[in-house]
Amino acid sequence: MRFSNRALDKFLKHPLAVAGSIVLIVLYTLMLFAEIIAPYSLDNGLRELSYQPPSRIHFVHNGRFSPRPFVYRYSFTFNDFFERAFVEDRSTPYHLSFLVKGDPVKLWGIIPVRHHLFGIPQSEGECRMYLLGADAVGRDLLSRILYGSRVSLTIGFFGVAITAILGFAVGGLSGYFGGRTDWFLMRFAECFMLVPGFFLMLALRSAFPIELSSTEIYLLIVVILSFIGWAGFARVIRGMALSIGKRDFVTAARALGASHARIVFVHILPQTLSYAIVSITLSIPGYILGESTLSFIGLGIQDPQASWGNLLGVAMNIADIQYHPWILLPGVFIFLAVMAFNFVGDGLRDALDPNR
Amino acid sequence: MRDEIIRRALISIPQLLLMSFITFLFIDLAPGDILAKYRFDPRISRKTVEQIEKKYQFDKPIVVQYVHWLGRLAKLDLGYSFSREAPVTNVIAERLLNTFLLSFLSILFTWLIAIPLGIYAAVHQYSWGDRIMSLISYIGMSLPSFFLALLVMYLVFQCRSVPLIGAIPIGGMMSSGYEQLPFFAKIIDRAAHLIIPVVVLTIGALAGLQRIARGNMLEELRKQYITTARAKGLPENRVIYKHALRNAINPLITLFGFSFSELLSGAALLEIIINWPGLGSLMLAAVRSQDTFLVMGSMLMGGIMLIIGNLIADLLLVLVDPRVRKA
Amino acid sequence: MHKRLMICIAATLLSAFILLQGCSSTGGTSKQSDRNQGPGIDYDALQKKALAFTPAIGTPGGNLIMSTTSDPKSFNPITSTETSTSEFTQYIFEGLVRSNGITLLPEPNLATSWDVSSDGLSWTFHLRPGVVWSDSVPFSAYDVEFTFNDLIYNTAINPNSSRDIFMIDDKKIAVTVKDSLTVTFTLPFPYAPFLRAMTQEILPKHALSQFVKKGTFSTELSIKTKPEQIVGNGPYLLESYLSSQKVVFKKNPRYWKTDREGNRLPYIDRIVYTIVADQNAELLKFKKGEIDYLSAKGEDYPGLKRDEASGLYTVYRLGPSTGSNFLFFNLNAGRDSAGKPYVNPVKASWFNNVNFRRAVAYSLDKQNMINIVMNGLGYPQWSPMTPAEGYFFNNSVTEYPYDVKKARELLAKEGFRDSNNDSILEDPKGNPVDFTFVSNSGNNVRMKIAEIIRKDLEELGFRVHFQLLEFNSLIQKIDNPPFEWDAVLLGLTGGVEPHFGKNVWHSTGSLHMWYPRQKTPATPWEATIDSLFDVGVKELDNEKRKAIYDRWQQIASDELPLIYTVLQERISCINNRIGNLNPSLNGGLLHNLEYLYIKGN
Repeated sequence: MRFSNRALDKFLKHPLAVAGSIVLIVLYTLMLFAEIIAPYSLDNGLRELSYQPPSRIHFVHNGRFSPRPFVYRYSFTFNDFFERAFVEDRSTPYHLSFLVKGDPVKLWGIIPVRHHLFGIPQSEGECRMYLLGADAVGRDLLSRILYGSRVSLTIGFFGVAITAILGFAVGGLSGYFGGRTDWFLMRFAECFMLVPGFFLMLALRSAFPIELSSTEIYLLIVVILSFIGWAGFARVIRGMALSIGKRDFVTAARALGASHARIVFVHILPQTLSYAIVSITLSIPGYILGESTLSFIGLGIQDPQASWGNLLGVAMNIADIQYHPWILLPGVFIFLAVMAFNFVGDGLRDALDPNR
Repeated sequence: MRDEIIRRALISIPQLLLMSFITFLFIDLAPGDILAKYRFDPRISRKTVEQIEKKYQFDKPIVVQYVHWLGRLAKLDLGYSFSREAPVTNVIAERLLNTFLLSFLSILFTWLIAIPLGIYAAVHQYSWGDRIMSLISYIGMSLPSFFLALLVMYLVFQCRSVPLIGAIPIGGMMSSGYEQLPFFAKIIDRAAHLIIPVVVLTIGALAGLQRIARGNMLEELRKQYITTARAKGLPENRVIYKHALRNAINPLITLFGFSFSELLSGAALLEIIINWPGLGSLMLAAVRSQDTFLVMGSMLMGGIMLIIGNLIADLLLVLVDPRVRKA
Repeated sequence: MHKRLMICIAATLLSAFILLQGCSSTGGTSKQSDRNQGPGIDYDALQKKALAFTPAIGTPGGNLIMSTTSDPKSFNPITSTETSTSEFTQYIFEGLVRSNGITLLPEPNLATSWDVSSDGLSWTFHLRPGVVWSDSVPFSAYDVEFTFNDLIYNTAINPNSSRDIFMIDDKKIAVTVKDSLTVTFTLPFPYAPFLRAMTQEILPKHALSQFVKKGTFSTELSIKTKPEQIVGNGPYLLESYLSSQKVVFKKNPRYWKTDREGNRLPYIDRIVYTIVADQNAELLKFKKGEIDYLSAKGEDYPGLKRDEASGLYTVYRLGPSTGSNFLFFNLNAGRDSAGKPYVNPVKASWFNNVNFRRAVAYSLDKQNMINIVMNGLGYPQWSPMTPAEGYFFNNSVTEYPYDVKKARELLAKEGFRDSNNDSILEDPKGNPVDFTFVSNSGNNVRMKIAEIIRKDLEELGFRVHFQLLEFNSLIQKIDNPPFEWDAVLLGLTGGVEPHFGKNVWHSTGSLHMWYPRQKTPATPWEATIDSLFDVGVKELDNEKRKAIYDRWQQIASDELPLIYTVLQERISCINNRIGNLNPSLNGGLLHNLEYLYIKGN
């Protein structure tokens, strides 16, 4: 169970895997401190700034260079085509600062915080800085994406945790005991693989009313997604447990009087760890995409709560793509996270694979 | 091996039923009244509602309801769809062919393209071609399919002045003047409408399969017998296509079964996005209107399609791999 | 190797950032208008032009491709209560009278003229000679009598969408045939909406009476019926219906109407409805020319208007539409069987306070609703009727322009203040203002408006719990004991005839949403509205009627049982190959469908 330096070296030799790891570290750090990094709270929009394009950062005001970056205030009018024509009010610069006092939020829902990583200090006056633009009701997209990462990036871990527990338990016991137990457990697991994932997901979701609280929906999605995924994992663990169970040290352990549970959980399963880690890493994208799909079709996280999936869901129409393309950014984040996990998973596979 | 396959197919039936029972349980335990729509519709009398209740045993315990559902299933009666006011079997039958068409074509093209690409990548490992394909594969696997679908639709639309591409229809299964078309034109019309959905599905599935094909091929090329063949002086083409490929295909076909599940899921989601009248869009509508029998029926159909797909994969395996045949 | 990678990543991020910055617009002096309104249109000019229009002689042939989002549920105009059905049955069946597409006034159709007795109780219609059904059987007064006596008044046929309209104080109208082309209606009381109601579709006796006798009429004219068996005398007949695909109508070769040179109408051979559930696909299909007509959303207007220059189609703005969205509170004063009031008395004290409702009305940010939900293409609504409904619309009711300060002042005057500084208002007794606000899922526009209202109410200092319910469940909740709801956002389709909204406004009505089916009017103003409706239906003088219904709308805007929100602009787009178009505020683009023709055919 010790990961040798050799594995780490092999991993670091893969540029894609390293890049993926960096991306993930960045994303998760952002997620962890979302409340502080996001300049605005989750639902703090200014309606007059509906669909404001990303705020331009300036360094030159009235011909004079200013080392501190600043933005101008935006406002819009409808032109003859009912397109929003945004203009900047070039009369007053609003400078950016770090560690500014802004919306009162609670870090992780517990710790009250008033300072945000960056923003426009209150001393400068009332002006919004929307680095990634605004959504339909004038909320900062960057902040919503950061808050959305809470759902999209964590659902994978909880889902995978349940899958792992179920997979290890069923697969390990099945492979170890063999015979009748094995046969029944595996047939049972196969049931879950008989229905294509999307169909099963919809069927389970239909059991619950469309409108639930956001926590309820989150838990529901976690459960539904792990429902779909555990069987495949269990099958492979079972295969591995089967062959490992035949090895000498297991026979020895049994001869020494170790209990079945001890043999399975302390001796056999740890041997599957390298495969398990790779498999788990590579299955997290499935959870991220699963949640975003559910939220996208409107059966997942609901507004005003944010998840990358539901942020993308409102953007899926021609008018948005043509006129406010920044609305599609959550899709880029999903894409990055999924790619990163795939790269890291591949890298782990190569690093931990004894054959290569 | 053949016995094994038959045994597996037969086992699938009770397994599917168990799955349906679990789902049935979930849906039934759900809060909400499936007949609410009827109860409070002033046009429908109380008596009618009570009759419906009796007919589908909504007043009996869950297990009894399920047994009745099974009984009806044996008669190929999947119940009544309350949201569409028609028997579930009819509603699904209309759409089954559409989903099948979509899935089948996607699988066909995915395979026709993924395998040659995978082989090429393996044979020219670390070349620029390999690297680019690798990157595209990663991108294809990571892009949410609904994103991709909209992108493709929009691109086709933007290119509407370009000769061939502009002619590709967006959405729907046939043109409005379909009936008046001569026979061959009808086929072309259908095919044209299939282009965007199949392309989107194929791109999504292509990536994963190409990488696996490449991986398997690489594994084979490393093996002893390949070195031997080369040492014997066989031309490289023979080595690759006659020997290595044959063996690399085997695990691919096994994977065919797994990818089929992904593909059906992908097809279902795509149907919803581009409004292709298939099982997927039907099921979503059923979920939204909480139409239990329709949801169960669609899910069952999805399962059956998967089982059939797996069966075909197994049969292919038997055909292709002599080792399997002998056993 | 790693350094190169880092540089690559850095470069990508930097370029992405710069790209995003490029999305911004140019600088300039800002206009200090945060109540942004887009350019309006000259509706008077539009109407004038519409009235002056004379159709050209069109060339017959061609197909008109329309689209619809869902399958038809039925082709039976009597038993169907779905609004989508009438879109299809309007082609097949006609009434004695039709509504003029520009003036909205009833004009001759299957009846060429009518005589009214001086007391308004006896109407004799003279039917148009030479009209035949699609199976060549002549149309006659017997069909009219059949439609009323055997279908509409037949209590065995349920549901029955027209019965309510033709029951006057629970009495039937006597329909008698004088001869094959003359039919008389004898009303029990004067009934002002009568002539308008005679747009009622007339169905063929010879084709359908057998089903009535058998008792199977409700299942006739369904989507399963063979098209050839649907007998009609309208401009088009059903040719085919392919589930989830399309509904095709073909020209009725025996249609009675001709153009001024005697050519038989309609010109267009077929009307094909493609069923496209996805609105993106619908929009793209229209822009590509695969669909000829599109009813567009506000957010699609810019893209459509820009591409208009390509010459493929034209975009028309046709003023406020007729579907409304309104907010209302539970004013139910009833009690359950145990004597417990349905509405919590604490909440009842707020909701029943008219100044509370007025404060809410002042707090609704309508311009932003229009900007955000409809991309600026919408209008605030203050009255139960809308401009598109014509004559009875009262344009000068009480309005409540967005003014949060005024709203707060009103509440303060009624004793609502934030005594404990938790930013939630408490009523004079110290109860925090806390209630649930519900709307129905499945309606995008309504959901977005509801979101904005929720925030407006929270801005005011209320604690609002927002919930979405499925439509039928919501209706069930509103309309039945124990009336477990506080505030709801719902909508209704409108109509030209105010009396047809009686079910909503009369205190005995089942759709009197804020307090349905009252035994006696709960408030003086509800009693007034009751009497206005009771009198208005019998008043035959149009001007006097207008005064009556004007007063109703005035009271409605003062007492605010329903707080109206915003109306969408009707944006109709049509392919330029369609000739004889006459855009009208009240009728849209297709009111003169039988005169439309395909150019260059």
